[in-house]
Amino acid sequence: MTAVAAAVRWSHLLSAFLLVGIFGLTLLAGRSAHPTPRAWEARMLAWSRRAALATLATGLLLLAMQAAHAAGRAGAALEPSAWVGVLLSTQFGAVWLVRMGVVVLLTALLLLREREDFTADWTALRVEGWLLAAAAAGALAWAGHAAAVEPNGGLALASDLLHLIAAGVWLGALAPLIALLRAASTPAGADGRPYAVLVVRRFSRLALGAMLTLVATGAWNAWMLVGDLPSLIGTRYGGLLLLKLGLLVPILALAAMNRRRLIPALSGEAGTVGRPAMARLARFVTFECLLALGIVAVVAALGVTPPGRHDTPWWPLSFRLSWEAAGGLPGVRARFLIGSQIAVVGLLALLVALVMARSRLLAVTAGLLLVAAGLGTALPGLSVDAYPTTFRRTLVPYHASSISHGLELYRGHCVTCHGVAGWGDGPAGVGLPRKPADLTAAHTAQHTAGDMFWWITRGIPAGGMPGFAGALSEDDRWDLINFIRALSSADAARILSPAVEPNRPRVIAPDATIALGPTPARSLKEFRGVRTVLLVLFTLPDSRGRLDVLARSYETLQALGVEIVAVPVAGGDGVLSRLGGNPPIYFPVATEGSDEIARAYGLFRRTLSPEGMAPDPPMPSHMEILIDRAGYLRARWIPGAGGPGWASLPALVAEIQQLNRETPAPPPAEHVH
Amino acid sequence: MRLWRVILLVNLALAVGLLLGFLAWGRPLDDTRRELAELRGQAVPAGVERVLRARGVVRAIVPEINVIVLSHEEIGGFMPPMTMGFRAQDGKLLDGVEVGDVLAFTLRGVPPNLVLTELRKEGKL
Repeated sequence: MTAVAAAVRWSHLLSAFLLVGIFGLTLLAGRSAHPTPRAWEARMLAWSRRAALATLATGLLLLAMQAAHAAGRAGAALEPSAWVGVLLSTQFGAVWLVRMGVVVLLTALLLLREREDFTADWTALRVEGWLLAAAAAGALAWAGHAAAVEPNGGLALASDLLHLIAAGVWLGALAPLIALLRAASTPAGADGRPYAVLVVRRFSRLALGAMLTLVATGAWNAWMLVGDLPSLIGTRYGGLLLLKLGLLVPILALAAMNRRRLIPALSGEAGTVGRPAMARLARFVTFECLLALGIVAVVAALGVTPPGRHDTPWWPLSFRLSWEAAGGLPGVRARFLIGSQIAVVGLLALLVALVMARSRLLAVTAGLLLVAAGLGTALPGLSVDAYPTTFRRTLVPYHASSISHGLELYRGHCVTCHGVAGWGDGPAGVGLPRKPADLTAAHTAQHTAGDMFWWITRGIPAGGMPGFAGALSEDDRWDLINFIRALSSADAARILSPAVEPNRPRVIAPDATIALGPTPARSLKEFRGVRTVLLVLFTLPDSRGRLDVLARSYETLQALGVEIVAVPVAGGDGVLSRLGGNPPIYFPVATEGSDEIARAYGLFRRTLSPEGMAPDPPMPSHMEILIDRAGYLRARWIPGAGGPGWASLPALVAEIQQLNRETPAPPPAEHVH
Repeated sequence: MRLWRVILLVNLALAVGLLLGFLAWGRPLDDTRRELAELRGQAVPAGVERVLRARGVVRAIVPEINVIVLSHEEIGGFMPPMTMGFRAQDGKLLDGVEVGDVLAFTLRGVPPNLVLTELRKEGKL
């Protein structure tokens, strides 16, 4: 089915491009009085009629396929009701209607076969034809991946529009050009040779412009849809893009050859241009055209492939280069600096070679050698181990429920070797070939979530770690990874105190879902950009006094942009009744989801005090955490852990005012990386 | 007729067609969208007595003024979920109601002057 879809898209694109190319090239060529050019022109008109009809026919096929795709069954392809549904209620339908309306108009114009007595008629028909054809080809941008790009959607659309029209101008004109060259290189076509030479020269300039446009807009589009290196080399979409680039290189080489060698060979007085030179040029343009057909085939396949940004990259190499992970190792920075300087010198040599008249070869060789040596010095140090799943993305968000489930799984499967606190000091880890990893150490942040996914899935045979692919589902493994991230981030958060450290948002607050009885569930994320959250983990009856203080200050705190979210540590059963109504408590109290939040945020109970440094310190009965509007943990107060903390309201208000003074940091990513 | 004139006419027709298309289809669509958004905002006709039912949990009771504070779910077509006070039609309604009770309640009146006329306990939080 996908192959058929790609084939239909391929022929649709080709006929649409051909229309643009035919009118573009005939306009560029201008009118001629000689019989061969006139015959070619008439042929081009005939071609354009067929191309317009082919665009319509393949357009109908596209619609039928879209109808079948939307309905989820092949039978719908032939049902008028399914067609109407697609046309009237989808973006594809609206774009299709506009495009096909334009093509119908163009077809009617061409089928009129109106006489062209005057140059104005001749020009008007072709300008109109070009405009309609360009509109029909360009409007495809609104039905492609570019229309779904966020943000910068307008820019992506404009760039795709230019790309499509430039493709039509260049690629669509190749076949008409070949027809002209062929006609002019026959013995009978001698009268058309001067005209052909003229056309080739003009087209060569136009094609250069179109090619530059194609490369620039294509690179921009690719960047918008692929986004990073792993997606480029690790996904199907990225692979197809690379194939497209691979086809483009010989085309550029052929085009350069045509421009530098073959076209000058046509020079001289036009009448003396030899047939062999023209025939050779026709052959080379045919090669170019065949490669271009291949490119359009790749494009057709790209259209039915999910963009790399939305796919899961499968990293094919056993290493990756990472400044974050390796830049801190001793000597790496120095090597990188020296290597990059050598490479820069090499690039300079290459630039000099461009303007040098003599010993250019020597300069180029030296430049290339220097660049290679520079890269060879700079890059190996940055290389770290990578696995096929290294850049795998997850859909499981960094959420209290995932972390809490991960905690259970950790206790069931990991704790015996990695230890309660994740320090790699579990009893079963003692005899292993390699000491189990300390999951809270700084290096965990340098491994991608995908690296951990690989280790948990396959194990680390050399270190004695088993794989858990059989025991844990994929989602389980991601929950575990979320937990490990929370664990190491809680380790870093031991430094948190009741005082906000100005402008240093570091610890990401896991999202959480809270619900109060029949009211709809809300997530902590909803407060992002809107309110600062004071998360209160409480236990009754110990916390009653503090909650009274907060209840009385609720209006003040709200006026400062704070929402209080109270979470009972020991379950939500009967918690409202036990809290009672004196003084009344109006802020949200989580009656559902409190266990998960208490477990996930309970990880953040560890402090720098001797008790807090223990592997598994007891859960304090009361803990308050300030989460800033961007979604970062900024301050924490555990009553009785030294100092007055936020016991008096002004102390808390001062910290909130500090947060309100800051420019909010960019929000943290929803998923671990 | 000469071809360029034909083409000029075609383009004119295209422009007029686009304009008419926008007037006949795009503008009403915009209007419909706006009206829909307005309707979503205030689905209640003013000045008509209404009966509204919803569920909520009791957060506080102020018997002196017959007010009960509820954290409630969305009250269809009237109010999004929130915590707020409602006046009871009769003080006796609030007898036996405690903080933490989950209630199904009924409001009657001409918005925005609604009073609580019925309630039924459904559970306890």
